[in-house]
Amino acid sequence: MSLQNEEMEVVLKIKRYSQDKGYWWQEYKLKVDRFTQFTEALRRIKSEQDPTLAYRASCHMAVCGSCGMKINGEPRLACKTLVIDVAKKYGSNIITIEPMDYYKPVKDLIVDLDDFYQRMYKVKPRLYPHKDVIEGKAEQRLKPEDQRELWKFAQCIWCGLCVSACPSVKMDPEFLGPAAHAKGYRFLADPRDTITEERLKILIDSSWRCTYCYMCYNVCPRDIEPVTAIKKTRAYSKLTKDKTPVILTGEKHSEAIFNSLVETGKIEEAKVYLNTYGLLGSIRDFIYLFQTGKIKYALVKEKPVENISEIRKILSGDNK
Amino acid sequence: MEKVSYDAVVVGAGLAGLMAAHEIASAGYNVAVISKVFPTRSHSAAAEGGIAAYIDGNSDPNDNPEYMAYDTIKGGDYLVDQDAAELLAYKSGEIVMLLERWGTLFNRQPDGRVAVRYFGGQTYPRTRFVGDKTGMALLHTVYEKTSGLGNVDFYFEWFTWELVRDDSRVRGVIAFDMRNMLPVFFKAKAVVMASGGMGMLYRHSTNSYINTGDGYAMALRAKVAIKDPEFVQFHPTALYPSDILISEAARGEGAILRNAKGERFMARYAPKKLDLAPRDIVSRAILTEVKEGRGFPGGYVGLDLTHLGEDYIKERLALAYEAAKSFAGIDATKEMIPVRPAQHYYMGGIDVDITGRNPDLIGLFAAGEAACVSVHGANRLGSNSLLETLVFGRETGRSVVEFLKNYTEPSSDIDNEAEKMANSAYDIVKSESGVHFGEILEKLRDVMWDYVGVFRDENGLKTALSEIIKLREDMKKMYVLDKSKVYNTEFYNALELKNMLDLALVIAHSALNRKESRGAHYRLDYPERDDQNWLKHTIAYLRGNTVEITYKPVKITKWKPEARVY
Ligand SMILES: Cc1cc2nc3c(=O)[nH]c(=O)nc-3n(C[C@H](O)[C@H](O)[C@H](O)COP(=O)(O)OP(=O)(O)OC[C@H]3O[C@@H](n4cnc5c(N)ncnc54)[C@H](O)[C@@H]3O)c2cc1C
Ligand code: SF4
Ligand code: SF4
Ligand code: FES
Repeated sequence: MSLQNEEMEVVLKIKRYSQDKGYWWQEYKLKVDRFTQFTEALRRIKSEQDPTLAYRASCHMAVCGSCGMKINGEPRLACKTLVIDVAKKYGSNIITIEPMDYYKPVKDLIVDLDDFYQRMYKVKPRLYPHKDVIEGKAEQRLKPEDQRELWKFAQCIWCGLCVSACPSVKMDPEFLGPAAHAKGYRFLADPRDTITEERLKILIDSSWRCTYCYMCYNVCPRDIEPVTAIKKTRAYSKLTKDKTPVILTGEKHSEAIFNSLVETGKIEEAKVYLNTYGLLGSIRDFIYLFQTGKIKYALVKEKPVENISEIRKILSGDNK
Repeated sequence: MEKVSYDAVVVGAGLAGLMAAHEIASAGYNVAVISKVFPTRSHSAAAEGGIAAYIDGNSDPNDNPEYMAYDTIKGGDYLVDQDAAELLAYKSGEIVMLLERWGTLFNRQPDGRVAVRYFGGQTYPRTRFVGDKTGMALLHTVYEKTSGLGNVDFYFEWFTWELVRDDSRVRGVIAFDMRNMLPVFFKAKAVVMASGGMGMLYRHSTNSYINTGDGYAMALRAKVAIKDPEFVQFHPTALYPSDILISEAARGEGAILRNAKGERFMARYAPKKLDLAPRDIVSRAILTEVKEGRGFPGGYVGLDLTHLGEDYIKERLALAYEAAKSFAGIDATKEMIPVRPAQHYYMGGIDVDITGRNPDLIGLFAAGEAACVSVHGANRLGSNSLLETLVFGRETGRSVVEFLKNYTEPSSDIDNEAEKMANSAYDIVKSESGVHFGEILEKLRDVMWDYVGVFRDENGLKTALSEIIKLREDMKKMYVLDKSKVYNTEFYNALELKNMLDLALVIAHSALNRKESRGAHYRLDYPERDDQNWLKHTIAYLRGNTVEITYKPVKITKWKPEARVY
């Protein structure tokens, strides 16, 4: 148990906001040690230096989702981040703290999360089990492996960081956003849920509006992969009855690229798609769709690239 | 001042409040749930290790609810009301299965049934869990479920300031919309206090920052008693130095406490139960080791998980592993985790019976950590609190429904009174100069830790009392620098501090008054339990700077007090 402590004096530059004054930057100097979390640093500023500073924090252990903010530009939970670590990483004892992007400012580091909550409510975030189960007439057993799979997506703490970082949310008002998709998938995939069709209506169209940029995964403090939830949701596309144009285009797009890859290892007509999503992202996507058997493919004539057999191997999932 | 009317107002959106609200709303009544924070940010989210439950057909074959009640009573050092412990035990399986049906993803056995683990003070293992984020999993489930009902309005980021009453009954609460600081009078036929605990009174606490004991203080100011205020629980294994909880699940899964010499020191203090002895015993053991020079420099001991294996630790104790890594730079698969005791839970609370009703004030109910049903007595067993929030949250909801069925309209008008109460919030922070909440707060937390902590004695408690009274004087000179009306957190922190001081006075006074050691209340000058004189509940009222104490007998059904050895 080697608990070596260190101390350091840091300057926290906080971007403040009030409705009357707008934005301004304010600096606070304080001593921190090896174990000081940003929430604790803020608490000390508030009780020792400047009681007017406003921020949210509750659990200080990364489970309540209150303390999302930008620390040196990175979307983080303040409680899950140690001050000294950031100073070391950036080689400077001057650290900036700003409110999360995207949401409307309320005061200092506090932003308005109503938009985020609306997104979460839209996916009907609750289990609708069979009537007999609710009445206690039947028992539902859940396989340990199903529990583990669902729990991966159920751990969202509604912190809103992923939405603040998601480019699609900003551009596309029809897109539900990463957290809502993680939540939606957690119930969609639950074998005990009974409103699958309604869930598909809510989720499928939106799932085709993600750009697979992986920002949500990068920032999620709970290591949830909303983008994986979105991929897995897309795989349900074939089950939806009323397909929106977005779903149809999405499906067709994937199919075309997939086919082209199988045939030639190249993608000709989908330059736009590629530019947007990157080759690796697309391949991962198609491998998934292929494995789940949701994609039909037709042959398109193209001259194969040299190592086409390798590519086909990847596409058939042999690389696992 | 704006006014709104509801059948029932629930203060608090943790597990207890949401469960009560669900029950009342399901019966068709209109409910307002008021919370300082968005519901899933309530402190319940932080609960880690699990929820105790005897489930028929899915428990140790030798176990039964009687043993569970007995463990709870013995753990609580016989200050437990035994009817409450029995209700808790007998309803435990049902409530856990209800939450399972609502979608909580409990860890499973290979055959698909809900899994179990050991917790301190249990004769047989009966703690159900979701990794070590059980509280978060339960809270999200209940919130998601309750927010789907039509007749519950959520007022989150609203600060409840006072309980409004007339001569005999509840008339509602005053709460501020934190976004614009406007007070609203929530008229209600019934009020459920489910406002959680008070960890911020102590320098070291595992609790959320928002746990400032508001509900207890509102009750005290409304002339309602707090039962057993002297019983504050300290958890033995808070991470050094950030006080983040390392769940008791760690010891349940086999972790061992060791001093700086590497000794398994619990063998000296609880030879049979060892590391799984109840919290008060382990807390005192750790501090004794430290005091006698066998701790690590800085004042902590080691919690050794290393023999459990990396995979097991990462699946079943993920949060403990993660906390040690993120907050102390320790790899728990290879090194011991540095731990020491910190304030953790409040056994005292608003006096209620097993239906959640308060005897002082008609229409007042309380549930969860804010209440003292007295199911935990002098010391709570791990994983019994989550269970209490749900079982008694639901029982309380049911009695509110019964109460509402027989409700008659009061004739008197209370609006002026309410107006005055709303203004009193500004009174305490009216000065143009003086002290800030931080100065008083930091002193209070040290006083409570130093003199009203794990070990207590007459001199220390007297010092604490005079210090607290001084701080209450200083409070009158408090002022608020932030003059804005938008999300003025400074203003709310000041109100919280006022609440903390009201409660602190009652705790210190009751601790001085109880001249024996029982459960978490340990008096160095009276180290023995004294059933002859003290097998009774403290009932404390606050009048200005004085605390008035009366007593209530402990309800005993089957189990005669016996020596508490582990
Ligand atoms: C770190 C930790 C781990 C724990 N682990 C376990 C465990 O594994 N098993 C177990 O059984 N127990 C555990 N406990 C204890 C348990 O978590 C709590 O006792 C329980 O969650 C309390 O729930 P509650 O509903 O009573 O209150 P809380 O969840 O604390 O909710 C209180 C609510 O009241 C609101 N509120 C408070 N004051 C006001 C006000 N003035 N105005 C408006 N709203 C207000 C808050 O916003 C909040 O919504 C743990 C406790 C801690 C600290
Ligand atoms: S991967 Fe999709 S959901 Fe995630 S941030 Fe990018 S666009 Fe948003
Ligand atoms: S998915 Fe992750 S980042 Fe997004 S809200 Fe949930 S916990 Fe936060
Ligand atoms: S304070 Fe709860 S997540 Fe940071």
